[in-house]
This record gives sequence, structure tokens and C-alpha cells, in this order.
Amino acid sequence: METLSAATYQAVYLLFTGDPALWTIIGISFSVSLRAIVYATPLALLTAFALAYLRFPGRRLLVSIFNTALSIPAVVVGLTLYILLSKAGPLGEWRLLFTQEAMIMGQFCLCFPLLVAMSHAALQSSDRRAWETALTLGASPLRAFLTLLHENRFGLVGAIVAGFGRIIAEVGSSMMLGGNILNYTRNIPTAIALETSKGSFAEGIALGLVLLVMALVLNILLGQMQGKGEVIQ
Amino acid sequence: MTSPLPWLSLQQLYFRRDERTILRDISLDFRETELILLTGQNGSGKTTLLRILSGLLKPQQARLVLEGRALSWRRSRPLLRRDICYLHQQPYLFDSSVEENIAYGLRRQRLPRKVIQDKVNQALQLISLQHLAGRNSRELSGGEKQRVAIARAWVLSPRLMLLDEPVASLDKRSRSRTYELMSELQQQGISVIYTSHEPQLGNLRLSRHIHLYQGELSHKPLAQPSTPDQPRESSRAGAGSG
Repeated sequence: METLSAATYQAVYLLFTGDPALWTIIGISFSVSLRAIVYATPLALLTAFALAYLRFPGRRLLVSIFNTALSIPAVVVGLTLYILLSKAGPLGEWRLLFTQEAMIMGQFCLCFPLLVAMSHAALQSSDRRAWETALTLGASPLRAFLTLLHENRFGLVGAIVAGFGRIIAEVGSSMMLGGNILNYTRNIPTAIALETSKGSFAEGIALGLVLLVMALVLNILLGQMQGKGEVIQ
Repeated sequence: MTSPLPWLSLQQLYFRRDERTILRDISLDFRETELILLTGQNGSGKTTLLRILSGLLKPQQARLVLEGRALSWRRSRPLLRRDICYLHQQPYLFDSSVEENIAYGLRRQRLPRKVIQDKVNQALQLISLQHLAGRNSRELSGGEKQRVAIARAWVLSPRLMLLDEPVASLDKRSRSRTYELMSELQQQGISVIYTSHEPQLGNLRLSRHIHLYQGELSHKPLAQPSTPDQPRESSRAGAGSG
């Protein structure tokens, strides 16, 4: 218990004194995960829209595949991409293994099904009149799509927050694809795993605190946003 | 005064869904400044017909003549959307202010901000809701929502407005205001088709009464408009079956 409180104290100290090594790890973590979510979100929203609003053969099967993909462990995604990106793999020529780009690919694969499934659920239950009204008022399909996203922003932002929460805290694929290289691919979860295995709990706790605070802030913001929406509706 | 030549002709329209024919050999002409009542039982295809006219649904077969030019469905759809506005039975208002809702279609036309504001103000005046300009549209009553939706379509200067059951689920006062608004639209040169289960109500000067029965269209004789003193039941009885 004493060790835990001392480590926590030291963790807070490291955070507030701006320890460069610690903040570099935090920076890499956010940079990689934000890029992954930014790349995944537009494509996921379009896919979710197509699944919810268009009728085409295989639509139900696709929905089932995305729902199944939600439960794929991060380490399996990491392993699959590792095989693809390794020198002997079909994408070996890209030389992406142990780079931030490889980590982004892994995180993209992890958050994409979640974003699609949650956005699909939000759009599926949305009011179709929003889409039709926008079209009848002269909006282009793209503008009508953006209007639809705006009308369902609470559910969709919730999906994006959940997707970000999944990838910022995942360790399996980042470890396998990034290689945990200091100042380059070492992010919060891989650093926590490493520091804990070395017995230096302070860094681990400090990084864990960052994740906790981030989760808290995101959820408070989302809650406030949804609260406002409920008042209006 | 209606012009003799129709600006839009819909001919031999067929619409099927799940092996069932919803609309069968429908032919309709639309002239300027008409007020058309479309009646029919539930499931007779009233809403489907309006949705086809507004370009939201594609018929399996139809011949369309717009301004004397025969057009394919694909080519006519953007033109129909330009000239025709469809309002759902319960109009959908976007989650923004009344003003923003009315300005929505105008913004799509990339008009200058000043022009948009002027048109929005005119529309608010038309529906007598200037005092609610800044209020979120979700906070309005059913009748107010209906009027905002009509104003939102009106600012786009359509040639034809399609109102799906515009007075269903409205109280007497809101009904009367909606009828006044429809009458005003007609006076401004906008044709209106409105659907109803009930025959002619209010003090509307109908141009035509068309009726859908099992997907087929027929014309009905026009009922006399009711006067404010007349009870609604008498006009209902006088109009024949709906």
C-alpha cells in the first residue's frame, strides 16, 4: 500500500513537472490514435450510412460481419497485420513494420468495426424524414448526408468517443506493430506494460492517470452534449 | 385563372413494391395555380404518389413531360426537386432555430446572406411566427411546426407543393390557419396538392378533387367550400364518399 501511494505521488510529480520522456509518450499516443480515428471516421460514417439507408444484396451479412469484428482481440489484429507487413509478407515491401504508420493501421482496423457498428445503430434508428427533407429542400446527397450526421450527432459522437477509447488504451497491436521503440512508437499502453515489467510503477501510474483523466473528460463532454440534446428533444 | 397547358404531365405511371402494384396506370396533368385534393383510404397509394412526384421514389414505369419536353426519370428528378416541395404528414424540422430551418433550402442555393435574411423575414411574416424566429424548432407545437415547414418550402418558390395530410392531428385553430396558408399559397401562384382522408374542408377553393382507390385514379366532383358558420359534418356529408 505504501509503495502504491509513493508511486502515485511520484507519478503526479512527474506529470506536473513536465517530465519530457513521459510527455513524449503521451504525445505519441495521442498523435497515433487521433490520426487513426480521423482516418477511420469518415469511411466508417459512409459505410454506416450505406448499411442503414441503402438496400443492396449482402447488406445484412455485412452488418453481421461488422458486429462480429467488434470482438476481435487487438492482439489478433496485430498478429494479422504483422504477418502482412513483415519482410516475408505480401506488404513487406512497404517497410512499415515498427513504424507509427503500422500502429495507425492496426488502430484503424480496431476502431473501424466499432465505429461502423455504433454509427449504424444510431443511423438505423434515426428519423428518415431528415434525409428526405434535406433532399426535397434542394440539398445535394452529400449535403443531405452531412445534415443527417448533424441531426444524429449525439449518437455519432458517442461512437467516435468509444472508438477512440478503444484504440488509445489497446496494447496488443501497438506492441506488435510499433515495437515499443522509445520516442517513436512507444505509446501509453506499451509504456505502461514495459515500466510495470521493470518494476517502475510511478511512470506506469502516471500514464494510467492520463488515460483515466482523458476518459473522464471525454465522458463528461459527451454527457453534457447529450444532456443538451435531451432538453431540446 | 388556370393556364390551359399543363407544365407537368405524368403519364402511365406504375409503381410496384414487393410484387404488389401500389399505383396503376396513373396519368395526371398539372397546371399553374391549382389546388388539388387527393383522397383515398389508408394504403391506397396517396403518399406513394406524392413521394414519386417529389423525386423521392422511383416508379417502375412512367412517362414524364415537363414544359412540353419528354424526359427520362433520371433527367427529370433534379427538375422535379427544383419545382416541387414535399411535406411529410408530420413535417421534419431540423434541430436548429426556426430561422435556420427556413433558411436551409436558401443556403443550398448559395444566395447572398442579405437575400436569405429578407426571404426568411417574409416567410416568418407569412406564417405570423416572427416572435419565434430564434426558438429551437423542436419546441414548437404541431400547428407551428406545420407552418414553419410550409414557410421553409415557400421561400424556395416552388411551382407545386405536396402536402401529405397537412391537417391530420392538428386542433381546429391550427387546421384553420393551415387552410388559410394553403389558400395564400394558391393566391401567390403556387399549386398545391394535399392529401386527406376527409373530403374538402375549410374554405378552400379547390381546382380538382382526385381519388385513389386500389392504386387507380379517378376524378370526383367538387364539393362546395364550407362557410365559417357551417358545421364540419354538413360539408362532409355533402362531399360524398372520400
